Amino acid sequence: MSTAPAEAEERVEALDGETAKPWVTIVWNDPVNLMSYVTYVFQTYFGHPREKAEKLMHDVHEAGRAVVAHGTREEMERDTEAMHGYGLWATFSKDA
Amino acid sequence: MARRFERSRRGVTATFDDDERALLSGLLTEVSQLLDDGTTPSEDPLEAMVGTGGSTTPPSDPAVARLLPQAAKDDPDAAREFRRLTERGLRQRKRDGLERARATLERPGPLVLDAEEQHAWLVALTDVRLVLAERLGLRTDDDADAVLAEVAESSPEDPRVWMASVYDFLTWLQETLVAALSKQLPRG
Repeated sequence: MSTAPAEAEERVEALDGETAKPWVTIVWNDPVNLMSYVTYVFQTYFGHPREKAEKLMHDVHEAGRAVVAHGTREEMERDTEAMHGYGLWATFSKDA
Repeated sequence: MARRFERSRRGVTATFDDDERALLSGLLTEVSQLLDDGTTPSEDPLEAMVGTGGSTTPPSDPAVARLLPQAAKDDPDAAREFRRLTERGLRQRKRDGLERARATLERPGPLVLDAEEQHAWLVALTDVRLVLAERLGLRTDDDADAVLAEVAESSPEDPRVWMASVYDFLTWLQETLVAALSKQLPRG
């Protein structure tokens, strides 16, 4: 069994620390998308039960925005791109 | 007169008359053309495959910018990089979906949609409604109420009157499609 040089190990740790930082995907309210459609997207894309999908949809509608996912930056970019595919306006950012 | 999208044993069905078919087909084609930025796929085979190597600035047409929105609010560098990596692919996927939906209108008889076509219609109706809403100036919930009330009182020659009635028709149509598709999701 070989061992990694000390320098490489340190780099791996630094990378892990970076990717572990929580990022979020935010969906913003708009006047066009139907409440039923937004609920349907949250159910089918995120796999949420209807009740949770409806709560998230109401959060978007009433507060103007809601965090719909947490994860690594790469995961949040993927979710944001998927939401744009559905016509929802989404952004990703570092969790404040 | 159109009959709403309904779930049946054969899939999801709807019925449109000739005028409605022509209207829907025209709208789907127009939005697809709006999304055509005239660029050919990247010459880099990897970029062409994944749809990267696109523009880094938002589209100048606000309706297209709504379909391809900024992905990071307070981080212009991240928004530019995201756009460079994803915009081409997103444009192409939207155009493919609009075309898939339009092609179903060429089949004779009532519309019968398989699962992929149901998804294509669902998203295509969203994209067309987003474009019409931007042209009508519906940008916030308050605008939506105010603009639609104002349009309802304007003269029939105002092109927005027709646009608003098309928008209402598509909203109704999409609501029936979402209802039909939601029926097949697990409860709870």
